[in-house]
Amino acid sequence: MKEQIYRWAGPSLWVLGLGVPFALSANWISILALFAIYAVVALSQDIVLGRAGMFDMGHAVYFGVGAYTTAILNVTYGWPIFWTMIPAIIAAALVGGILAAPLVKLRGDYLLVATIGVSQIFHLAMVNNTAGVTGGPDGIFGVGVPSIFGHQLISQGNEYLVDWGLLGIVLLLMKNLEHSRLGRVFRYLKEDELAATTLGVNARYYKILAFALGAGIAGAAGTLFASQLAVVSPGAFVFTESVTLFAIVLVGGQASIPGVLLGTVLMFVVPQVFRELAQYRYFAFGIGMIVVMVVRPQGIWPRRRRMG
Amino acid sequence: MSQEMSHTGPLLKLDNVGISFGGLRAVDQLDFAVEKGHIVGLIGPNGAGKTTVFNMITGVYKPTDGAILWKDRDIGALPPYKVAQCGILRTFQTIRLFSGMTVLENVLAGQHMQTRQAWWASLLSTPGQRREERDLRERCMAILDRLNLADVAHEPATSLPYGVQRRVELARTLAASPELLILDEPAAGLNDQESAELNTQIREIRDSGVTILLVEHDMNVVMNVTDRIVVINFGRKIAEGEPLSVRNDPQVIEAYLGSDEDEDVA
Ligand SMILES: Nc1ncnc2c1ncn2[C@@H]1O[C@H](COP(=O)(O)OP(=O)(O)OP(=O)(O)O)[C@@H](O)[C@H]1O
Ligand SMILES: [Mg+2]
Repeated sequence: MKEQIYRWAGPSLWVLGLGVPFALSANWISILALFAIYAVVALSQDIVLGRAGMFDMGHAVYFGVGAYTTAILNVTYGWPIFWTMIPAIIAAALVGGILAAPLVKLRGDYLLVATIGVSQIFHLAMVNNTAGVTGGPDGIFGVGVPSIFGHQLISQGNEYLVDWGLLGIVLLLMKNLEHSRLGRVFRYLKEDELAATTLGVNARYYKILAFALGAGIAGAAGTLFASQLAVVSPGAFVFTESVTLFAIVLVGGQASIPGVLLGTVLMFVVPQVFRELAQYRYFAFGIGMIVVMVVRPQGIWPRRRRMG
Repeated sequence: MSQEMSHTGPLLKLDNVGISFGGLRAVDQLDFAVEKGHIVGLIGPNGAGKTTVFNMITGVYKPTDGAILWKDRDIGALPPYKVAQCGILRTFQTIRLFSGMTVLENVLAGQHMQTRQAWWASLLSTPGQRREERDLRERCMAILDRLNLADVAHEPATSLPYGVQRRVELARTLAASPELLILDEPAAGLNDQESAELNTQIREIRDSGVTILLVEHDMNVVMNVTDRIVVINFGRKIAEGEPLSVRNDPQVIEAYLGSDEDEDVA
């Protein structure tokens, strides 16, 4: 009975979410659209951090690579939004994989510092417009909206449904990961890398794969983020964004899908709702995070022990 | 991973192997061979270098001198995962189970090399992937059955009693279909009954065609199950031969009495 509830609660909630554009105000629609996007990024951070156990403190970079790829291709070259998602995923996955290649052999704390470096370099490169195509500190304006069969999804509700759809797909992939060789290998590496390698696991390959996979999914979210906000600028992918993503996974619950979603709600949605409280909310959050880590180090909604 | 069929010599051969940690010569000029189908015991007092030898064979440490030959091929420079792919699998002196994972999930790790699903098939949960997962679980449950672990298949592995955890680690290693099974003190921490069961299991594993190399302090296990024994002290070989002759070797008795370690030998 309990199993049944657990099994159907998630999909039911997602289906319920499809009704949001018809039931809620514009303000809520835009908050929940952003929730969907950030939830995808947080889930992708969880692949690297919560599942494979690598301290990736630069995850907003991959999100940014996806967003910039879409912005450039759409604004400068006139690509339709949906088509830009493929290069956005590939570009983010490549950046993730290539950066990870020399870094994954570093021990946890050293990896953390290295990824902070990655995040700073990305921000500087965007602000200074190093590549000449990213628009400098102001970023790129006028990113369009997606269209299906020639119909532009101009309404806010339609854009929300696209975001919600991506979240659904990513949730499905995460669910599959739990019952698969790939998902298990990530956890073996996290729990005991030496034991895993003596059983034939090529640790380096799978760690790079974890980064590339996490980055690719973050890249897909970047596409929808660019289109949702119509503007892509360096400020959205700064170091503190990476820190927030990192915290979502730890506070919510590593390798726990409901945990990461709950973490996203707490760290992204709640601050949006209580916007008028300005900085006080960060104060409350800081204290909340400390309390959770001390009292419940496994996260608010930890991964369930028993697995099939 | 079937290798060339023509191979006739010993499965594993250590040729003048040595390793230094800074100034410490942990293993020096070590030669010995493991014949196919044998159970070979590696014994010696605490700190003699036994675990270090296992770490070199399995690629965890790189020997500073000499060669480690697996079917005449030098594997001394291979990383651990490639050594495993050769068919050389091990357990650890201090048990290394994946904590927070069930017994079954631990044993599934042993089947990593037998699993074919690509990473994208894992993500997409293709029909082939699901079929493979079902087969995997069946195979692992059969192994758990064989080692009397079926009842605890869904328990978190590291919450079980010590003796059971040892068996889980053995099950995980067997799941990887070893050609050479390396056991580092498999009887450590076991009670008399568990230790006797282990004797039987080790022989059964050998009879199923697996060659075994083990370190063991429990002389009951060593004398009862091995075909051949290599004795090392301070990283050097001091004796080698059949269990009975090694047991009566004056140098061996001296090494053990001298270090006050194991009264069973005398
Ligand atoms: N990574 C390492 N760095 C430095 N010294 C090491 C390392 N590994 C082993 N040693 C040293 O090598 C020597 C042999 O250790 P080893 O663990 O192989 O002994 P052992 O025969 O397995 O002993 P025991 O019966 O206690 O398990 C010891 O002096 C140990 O301190
Ligand atoms: Mg040892």
